[in-house]
Amino acid sequence: MILKIENLVVNYGYISALRGISIEVDAGEVVTLIGGNGAGKTTTLMSISGLTKIDSGTISYHGQDMSSLNSDKIVKMGIAHVPEGRNIFPKLSVEENLKMGCVSQSRISNTVIQERLAQQYQLFPRLRERRKQMGGTLSGGEQQMLAIGRGLMSDPELLMLDEPSLGLAPIIIDEIFELISGIKNETDKTVLLIEQNAVMALGVADRGYVLQNGEIVLSGTGEELLHDEDVRKAYLGG
Amino acid sequence: MYVLQQLVNGICQGSIYALMAIGYALIFGVVGLVTFTYGEIIMLGAFSAFYYFIVFGDNLILSLLCGFVVAGLVGIVVHKVCYQRFLDAPRYISLIATIGMSMFIKNLAIIVFGSTMKGLPLFFEGQNLVIAERTIDGVRQQLSLTYLQVVVIVTVVVLSIALTLFLNKTRIGMRLRAVSQDRKAAALVGVNVKNTTLLGNCIGCGFGGIAGILLGLYYNSIIPTMGGVAGLKAFSAVVIGGLSNIAGAAIGGISIGIVENLGIAFIPNGSGYRDVYAFLFLIIALVIKPEGLFSRRTGTV
Ligand SMILES: Nc1ncnc2c1ncn2[C@@H]1O[C@H](COP(=O)(O)OP(=O)(O)OP(=O)(O)O)[C@@H](O)[C@H]1O
Ligand SMILES: [Mg+2]
Repeated sequence: MILKIENLVVNYGYISALRGISIEVDAGEVVTLIGGNGAGKTTTLMSISGLTKIDSGTISYHGQDMSSLNSDKIVKMGIAHVPEGRNIFPKLSVEENLKMGCVSQSRISNTVIQERLAQQYQLFPRLRERRKQMGGTLSGGEQQMLAIGRGLMSDPELLMLDEPSLGLAPIIIDEIFELISGIKNETDKTVLLIEQNAVMALGVADRGYVLQNGEIVLSGTGEELLHDEDVRKAYLGG
Repeated sequence: MYVLQQLVNGICQGSIYALMAIGYALIFGVVGLVTFTYGEIIMLGAFSAFYYFIVFGDNLILSLLCGFVVAGLVGIVVHKVCYQRFLDAPRYISLIATIGMSMFIKNLAIIVFGSTMKGLPLFFEGQNLVIAERTIDGVRQQLSLTYLQVVVIVTVVVLSIALTLFLNKTRIGMRLRAVSQDRKAAALVGVNVKNTTLLGNCIGCGFGGIAGILLGLYYNSIIPTMGGVAGLKAFSAVVIGGLSNIAGAAIGGISIGIVENLGIAFIPNGSGYRDVYAFLFLIIALVIKPEGLFSRRTGTV
């Protein structure tokens, strides 16, 4: 098991966003976290990345407690977080945005950076065509690709994606999910995927958790959840 | 010829404003807030050189270095007091804290340095670089740069190029740019946002310190209250340049310098209104293009 969250509680002032959730992710798995608006999905990822103050509970990675670590340390442990809303650097070119993905790895050489760039361009040929274009002028789908590419530039062990399909055309969503199953089948990377698009997410995931009002209400393999009565009612339209 | 000479003077003076503005833009970029302490940073830079000259003698380059270091260190204090403590508070709290800090530094400076005008040593006194010369009706006219002006322009150009290279070519520079464009994204790619902000603030203040020395040398006078107008001009230049845009800030600074000196050239007995021209220019610029005259450029920090 590489990531283990135990009894995580996060409050924003009087609002409680997470009420003691526990999640485990094994190496090489694709785990998805599904749930409606405001369920606490984004908050979970922000807590793992060290961007939100947690009130109680522990988050450990490879057995090391990281609930009090700064976000830059957490990235160095091999975790990449592709945020909801993408957060592309608007005034950097596509290529500079990608390079930013490994700006914290002070030891890697230029050749490695070039290799990784080539990998992302192979994954997303559209980014290669636009590598000189400013990040802020890309379309939503292109920005999402860039955000994922930037996350992969650090060659992370655990890739966390926050609603990668949000606001994208079905054809682009298909592309993104193909990419995720590619990562699952062809690399040993681990993926923690947040989605509202439960069918697609459970289709690609090994396991899933259902989050509701800050609590895990259900968990199981992707297959199980996909056929669960309650999940079908709540997220898959009956 | 007189107008041309004023244009040259304007470019020179404008380059000092440009340096102030570049530092300000860098700070605005990483901190994400306007600061009201910058004028005092400029003043402290100038005074650090004053005492440097007294203690260590007249070495111009080392005095600039001293101004950079002193202003940068004060920048750390400003950062700890005004920004770091209020990271989670509403943004205007930091802003007000910088106003308080500005008053504190200014008054402390009056107490420590005395409230009177002081002079800096004269460098290259009376030495000119003649660019053009002509004689009309037996009157000889010259277009010239003083050596001091040359030194000012060269210093500003060298520092601007150095900063641009630093921001674009080094990993630390890339981190500064990341923080100034999107703090959250910067954190997510593993940048230590806190330290990077501190560093950007220090470098920005350091530039302000050097600009303060150049300003003091140029007018050959420094006074603890000089920061007010200087800080406002830096701010104006940055606004004209489109906030947090380094190239724009530089151009904004130079245009303010030119406007001031041309105002003096064209308006009879106009030299007392130098600052009026600058701020009038700001207002006109804002009316014409509220987002900053040069905001389309991509030279953001
Ligand atoms: N910065 C914040 N300040 C106050 N409340 C917040 C903040 N961020 C999130 N919340 C609240 O915490 C709860 C969980 O939010 P979160 O963003 O984690 O939901 P989510 O599952 O990602 O939802 P969505 O699918 O809409 O993105 C919500 O009720 C939200 O209003
Ligand atoms: Mg969310």
